Amino acid sequence: MPSQQTLAQTEVDVVVVDDEETIREGCRMALEGEGLRTETAANGALGLELLARVRPRVALLDLRMPGVAGMDVLKRLPDIDPRIVPIVITGYASVESAVDSMKLGAFEFLTKPFETTQLLDSVHRGIHRWGTYAPAQSELAPRRAKQTQTLKSQEDALLKSLEAAEEYAELGGTPTALADELRTLETQADYHTRQLGVVHKKGKALHDFVADLHAVDAIVSRHQSKRSALIQILLDIQSQKNWLPSHMLMWTSRRLGVPMGRILEVATFYEAFSLTPQGRHEVQICTGTACHVRHAPELLATISSLLGIKPGQTDSDLNFTFKQVHCLGCCALAPVVKVDSAYYGNPSMKKLKEIFARCEKDAQAEGEN
Amino acid sequence: MPRLESPKALVALRVKARGQRAAMPQRISVCGGTGCVAAKASGCIDALNAAITRHDLSSKVEVQVTGCHGLCERGPIVVIAPQQYCYLGVAAADADEIIEQSIIKGRPVERLMYQVDKAERIESQDKIPFFRGQQRLLLEANSRIDPRSIEDYIAIGGYTALEQALFRMRPEEIIESVKESGLRGRGGGGFPTGRKWETTRNAPSDTKYVIVNADEGDPGAYMDRSLLEGNPHSILEGLIIGAYAIGANLGYIYVRQEYPLAVENTLLAIEQAREQGLLGKDILGSGFSFDVEVHRGAGAFVSGESSALIAAIEGQVGRPREKYVHTSVCGLWDRPTNLNNVETWANIPHIINKGAKWFSTVGTKTSTGTKVFSLVGKVRNSGLVEVPMGTSLRTIVYDIGGGIPGDKRLKAIQTGGPSGGFLPESMLDVPVDFDELVEAGSMMGSGGMIVMDENNCMVDAARFYVDFLAHESCGKCLPCREGLRQLLHILNRIVAGEGREGDLELMEELCETVATTSLCALGKSAPNPVRSALKHFRSEFEAHIREKRCPSLACVSLFHYHIDAERCNGCSLCQKNCAPNAIHGEHKKSKTIDQESCVKCGACETVCPPKLAAVSKVAGRAAPKDSPLLRQKTG
Repeated sequence: MPSQQTLAQTEVDVVVVDDEETIREGCRMALEGEGLRTETAANGALGLELLARVRPRVALLDLRMPGVAGMDVLKRLPDIDPRIVPIVITGYASVESAVDSMKLGAFEFLTKPFETTQLLDSVHRGIHRWGTYAPAQSELAPRRAKQTQTLKSQEDALLKSLEAAEEYAELGGTPTALADELRTLETQADYHTRQLGVVHKKGKALHDFVADLHAVDAIVSRHQSKRSALIQILLDIQSQKNWLPSHMLMWTSRRLGVPMGRILEVATFYEAFSLTPQGRHEVQICTGTACHVRHAPELLATISSLLGIKPGQTDSDLNFTFKQVHCLGCCALAPVVKVDSAYYGNPSMKKLKEIFARCEKDAQAEGEN
Repeated sequence: MPRLESPKALVALRVKARGQRAAMPQRISVCGGTGCVAAKASGCIDALNAAITRHDLSSKVEVQVTGCHGLCERGPIVVIAPQQYCYLGVAAADADEIIEQSIIKGRPVERLMYQVDKAERIESQDKIPFFRGQQRLLLEANSRIDPRSIEDYIAIGGYTALEQALFRMRPEEIIESVKESGLRGRGGGGFPTGRKWETTRNAPSDTKYVIVNADEGDPGAYMDRSLLEGNPHSILEGLIIGAYAIGANLGYIYVRQEYPLAVENTLLAIEQAREQGLLGKDILGSGFSFDVEVHRGAGAFVSGESSALIAAIEGQVGRPREKYVHTSVCGLWDRPTNLNNVETWANIPHIINKGAKWFSTVGTKTSTGTKVFSLVGKVRNSGLVEVPMGTSLRTIVYDIGGGIPGDKRLKAIQTGGPSGGFLPESMLDVPVDFDELVEAGSMMGSGGMIVMDENNCMVDAARFYVDFLAHESCGKCLPCREGLRQLLHILNRIVAGEGREGDLELMEELCETVATTSLCALGKSAPNPVRSALKHFRSEFEAHIREKRCPSLACVSLFHYHIDAERCNGCSLCQKNCAPNAIHGEHKKSKTIDQESCVKCGACETVCPPKLAAVSKVAGRAAPKDSPLLRQKTG
């Protein structure tokens, strides 16, 4: 039986219950990256405890766990809080288990391994469901009304509302009905705030999108809309965005009247262009002949193991892009490493660590702003 | 600033500019070329300026940022005028001493002057062996002018050749003069420039174009960059003269975007020249109109090929086309187009100023003038070297370059970039000119000269070039695209110790096919590095294949690092510097390398104190850690 059920469940959005640490932490990183408050539990028993304590909007449950299995958690979920939207994850997908979990009220069924986008899609849908589902649960209304009266501490706004409700009751009104109404309003308001957040996000994305297209327009007109200036235009976009986003290429295609195929042909032919986002910091190692004969391959191995990425790759935090280039033209300093706009001739491992640490710090500061 | 509307106005401006410079004889020139900037020259410039302000000398001395001086190994380079004291490897912390000693007291700062092996220090630049052995026709001005000031260029006599050409020569005379000078294209092919100009001039069309090829793609070569960065007006002047002679009214400078400073200085020079009336309509009142656009190359080695470069300017993918009709007849937008390398254009003002006869006396009979080389690799004085054609490799590497560091033995010199070949030590006395190098099995190329010593593996070097070319092949012709890929495949196998008998013969056969059936020069010359390596260093290939051994201990799969337990004193330096954490052992106890996680970066060998020298390369793949065999080998 639920005990001390609270009304405002805004502390935690998602609880992940999985015995595999990589999955737990991976989900947490992905979800927190989206601004969703996430808690995790390593097994079913801990999961039940956590769910009862924090009452999230969405619960991600692994089916197969030692001890209390995901299916058991799923069964007991309505007792904890019927509004929690359960999403089941499993590495051993079968029709039976899917049907069983759906029967028990699972909202979605994710099969390992899943893509981050799949995960985020499901969780967002779950949260949306939570928002629309809660007020509709009319059969729970009496129970909740009772709980409302036992409420001791709550958010300021709600307390005030309840005080007002009492006053209203003193005046002869029915307090439970009003509290119910207030609660419904609160949930709705919460839902709309979230929606507003989404709208803001979408609005910003749209705004950025439009700004990008304006930037293309400015670049194209700087080159007098000449088709022959295609390479120059792409170079300008590349230097402005650090990569070539597809919407900007499509816009260029439209503005110049050059087919997208031609644009992609050029963009993939030349080294300077990148069709994927690049890290905030660019680490270039020169492997021109002069650097090659002066131990550039060894330096490349060092940098590769320090950054954990190979040439041509970008790390997952978009901090660094590591590139191998043929001759930066300062052969006297061979072997040369260029980090952003600074050149380093034969840097020691210590120096490299310093440089990369500084870059990471910059990136963090940027993130905080 | 008003446009210069007559030759007279140009002369007046020159007199004025010279007067201004004479009024301030004291000057500190700091090299601002990319090599020196990479060596933190900007910090020196700021520190010098701050010191000048502090000593309240702003009215007496100024800091001039110049182009590349050439001795990049010892940068940043600072030269004090009028005494011509030359300081090398200057740091921001030296600024105060330079101002106090050299500017206020007029004395040299000895510790910053050139010195080799405790010999006597050398005061001025022209006495340093590196500079003494050169004839710096094109590079000399680099150290005297600020590339961002057109007045500087005019003050040292810039644009006199243009004036001469526009007002005292007919176009045919200019072409005749270039032909007589014997100037050959500096981009690598060595085609006579005058003849190329003539073909374009005589081609039937009203519209013609001239192009500067500054798509310097050769790894290890950077002379075009230094010229564009350090003296962009000299190239512009050559280009305008060429355009006048050929009858072109529009020109392009195609420069790699990897050279941001060159792009910047070129754009600035064009703007200044336009303001002064040296570009645009009715240049100097001569009635001749000409303008220039800059196109940035987006990074493709093959774009340096003329027809590919032209395709790139047209905004297309830079793939070469068949040239049964030359670009000089049917080039950019199907019009006659004359394309020359940066260095070729930079020679033109000198031919006009000093005369074709004088020019033809420099160098050898078939290769006249000077050539700028970028001397890099295992050589003491890396940098840009300009010598008369016909100078021997020995002079360039030993007298000018100062020999090999660490007194190691020279193994080979590679000229001509990825299209050239290796020249072994026995060929050191070959005079460097277009024909002699071809004779020796290499080529001039654009002037890269990479020195390799006994620690460099020739199989690996050949593999390096094939890797580069396979990556840069545009993919149009099958023999180049697939042939190079197969060559690379075989070479990769050999350096990994998995070479097979018959590989060398197979490679020779492949080289033959690629060279004879490819369309453009990239494919035609691509097998050169492999062919010359096979010719001169066949035994190294055989050692890799038969004995699974890299004689130079350079091929990663065929050696490993080993720590001699008896020599190691457990200082843990190697452990701290090991990026992949492959070195194990407690502090104060000898260490071992986990061969599985070792990436062979060599950091441990570098940091191990020389008196211990406990880390060494051992031939062969890693043996089990406690193998007695291994101990025997390392003694």
